[in-house]
Amino acid sequence: MSGDNAAIVGSAVGDRLAVLSRRAFSFLLDWMTWGYVAYCVMYLLNHYWYTVHVDWWGTLTLPSWGWSVVVLATLELAVWSRSLGRSLGQRAIGVALQDAAGGRITAGRRLVRILLWHVSVPLFAAGFWRGGDPWHDRVAGMGLRPVSPDPERPGRRALATQWGIVALFLGVLTLWVGWLIIGINFQILARRAAQTGRIWGEMLRPDFRYFTTPDPVFSLRALSYSILDLAVVTVFMALTATILGSVIAFPLSFVGARNVMGFSPSGWAAYGIVRGFFNVFRSIETIIWGSIFAVWVGYGTTLAGILALTVHTIAALGKLYSEQVEGVSPGPLEAVWAAGGSRVQVVRHAVIPQVLPSFWAFTLYRWDINVRMSTVIALVGGGGIGDMLFYYKNQGDWPKVGAVVIVIVAIVWAMDYISGRLRERIA
Amino acid sequence: MANPYLVVEHLTKVYERGQVLALRDLSFAVEKGEFLVVIGLSGSGKSTLLRCINRLIEPTRGRIWLDGVDLTRLSQARMRRVRRRIGMIFQQFNLVDRSTAIGNVLTGRLGYLPGWRALLGWFPKEDREKALANLERVGLRDKAYVRVDQLSGGQRQRVGIARALMQEPEILLADEPVSALDPATSHSIMQYLEQMNRQDGATVIASLHFLSLARRYGTRIIALKDGQLVFDGLPTAIDNAKFKEIYGEDAEEVEVR
Ligand SMILES: Nc1ncnc2c1ncn2[C@@H]1O[C@H](COP(=O)(O)OP(=O)(O)O)[C@@H](O)[C@H]1O
Ligand SMILES: [Mg+2]
Repeated sequence: MSGDNAAIVGSAVGDRLAVLSRRAFSFLLDWMTWGYVAYCVMYLLNHYWYTVHVDWWGTLTLPSWGWSVVVLATLELAVWSRSLGRSLGQRAIGVALQDAAGGRITAGRRLVRILLWHVSVPLFAAGFWRGGDPWHDRVAGMGLRPVSPDPERPGRRALATQWGIVALFLGVLTLWVGWLIIGINFQILARRAAQTGRIWGEMLRPDFRYFTTPDPVFSLRALSYSILDLAVVTVFMALTATILGSVIAFPLSFVGARNVMGFSPSGWAAYGIVRGFFNVFRSIETIIWGSIFAVWVGYGTTLAGILALTVHTIAALGKLYSEQVEGVSPGPLEAVWAAGGSRVQVVRHAVIPQVLPSFWAFTLYRWDINVRMSTVIALVGGGGIGDMLFYYKNQGDWPKVGAVVIVIVAIVWAMDYISGRLRERIA
Repeated sequence: MANPYLVVEHLTKVYERGQVLALRDLSFAVEKGEFLVVIGLSGSGKSTLLRCINRLIEPTRGRIWLDGVDLTRLSQARMRRVRRRIGMIFQQFNLVDRSTAIGNVLTGRLGYLPGWRALLGWFPKEDREKALANLERVGLRDKAYVRVDQLSGGQRQRVGIARALMQEPEILLADEPVSALDPATSHSIMQYLEQMNRQDGATVIASLHFLSLARRYGTRIIALKDGQLVFDGLPTAIDNAKFKEIYGEDAEEVEVR
């Protein structure tokens, strides 16, 4: 019965899937946290006991089977923290494990529940599909029930404190391990200052000889361009990528929005594919896309740069757009359904009018990013003004580098100004 | 003997999320031209009932017959065509805040537009004229090109009414149309509904919070309590005992003038 307008009403399958994925994700988060803690602790053990005293502590480096032990152990910790958390702490968020007969839940039965979890979750997907309590809850004779907030117990505040402690612990651990891994050395900064001073001095006397006349050094590479030529190319790279990217991201973003796609299986599939695409392609940085396309369509070509910028723009904007679409108020959607509108009409007349201003804002924001990116994409062979910058830098021709940097600053500043003004108009 | 216009048979709705039994085996019939008022405490299932009738919410069990057609059996595409004849007015108005009044009113016509036209937002000239006429009818002709977030609550609900008028509805579903409004404005809105009922011959099904409003405007009242039908009859038939049954022992009747 999950139909056309299931987006508003939801459906049995969709509800269960939503619950399931919520539980799966929060579980995954627990697991990852434990895994992270385990990694940090092992790193510290290795660092302080292994590298400092090279002796029998050396055995602390993991044998080949060690990793599977760590994975299983962290998994186990996550299970226990979940199940114990359910048992102990969740009253704070309005649910608690309760005995079917209203009796006390003994530690032994909690243990039973935790052990059964290992069978229940892998085999029956926790029994969520059947509705009601998961199998491990039922066998252990208990279930999660909403409870009225108990004034005697510390409620949300205690939960917040717990989270605070966890965050503090993870933060300190990260800084500690990070410091050791990166090995920051401030002495170098001071020692090298004098050498760099000369370069700064040269850059501050910029050489604008080739601002409009093509620089003959590039003719060796069968290319001929001036700073201005490449400045124009760079601006157009950013503009083209932004426009192309937002035009492609726009329709995709509606497919990547749960409230538009509804809860039918096909809706879920399309949603999952598009969101997955956004997430994967977004997590590959523009620079990496640049090196991929540089190999594909030619090193140092503008096309490689544009493609890299466009692909990342589609994914990044698509995600931002989708989140906006998911945040629209559902009332107008309902009104269009009620008047006999189709899904497309709902999107066109109830969703788009609500999201358009923020779509514009995000597009302008992306434009800013693309302008900055287009000035450095040449580093990996993406073309544009950065090509010149890195060439001169490698030659040690600092006055010319100075000139190019000034032009880049001018481009970024001008584009910032324009997009800022446009943004004011929209707000 | 002709069948009643709208027949609801054994209607049951279970919300999976939270396992709520929102409607329990409701049966009643509505004749053409009636002004049926649904009363009940909040959470009693009024909104769910109205949304089951135009299937914004899928009923779990039961049948709904409109003019001899079983709505629960219709495909989504056919149901959409039926929805064009069913206007709806909402408690929270459900307008697109950033659009103009006329933009919102025109969306009432969407069911009649071919896909490509709706996609481009090209409404025919007749529709635009009709939208202006309907805004005129609710006294908002001069606000046609004002963004609705600049309008007061009463004015917004009148935009909602104009939107429903665009459908030239045979049935009007009004889900607590005046709950967000003050008493004086409430009456003006209710009078528009009464007008649609009397002049345009639309069958009205409205859920209301206040019994006094229900008595004043309804030709018949049904009452819900925890999703069950606890009263079905003339407004005058609700006495003090009945009132306490519907609203609970401690309730006091409040007048809305
Ligand atoms: N989408 C939903 N999911 C789960 N439960 C719901 C949903 N909508 C309404 N309910 C529940 O159904 C019951 C009836 O709600 P509703 O029809 O909104 O009542 P009313 O309009 O009379 O206030 C309430 O208990 C409410 O909590
Ligand atoms: Mg309601």
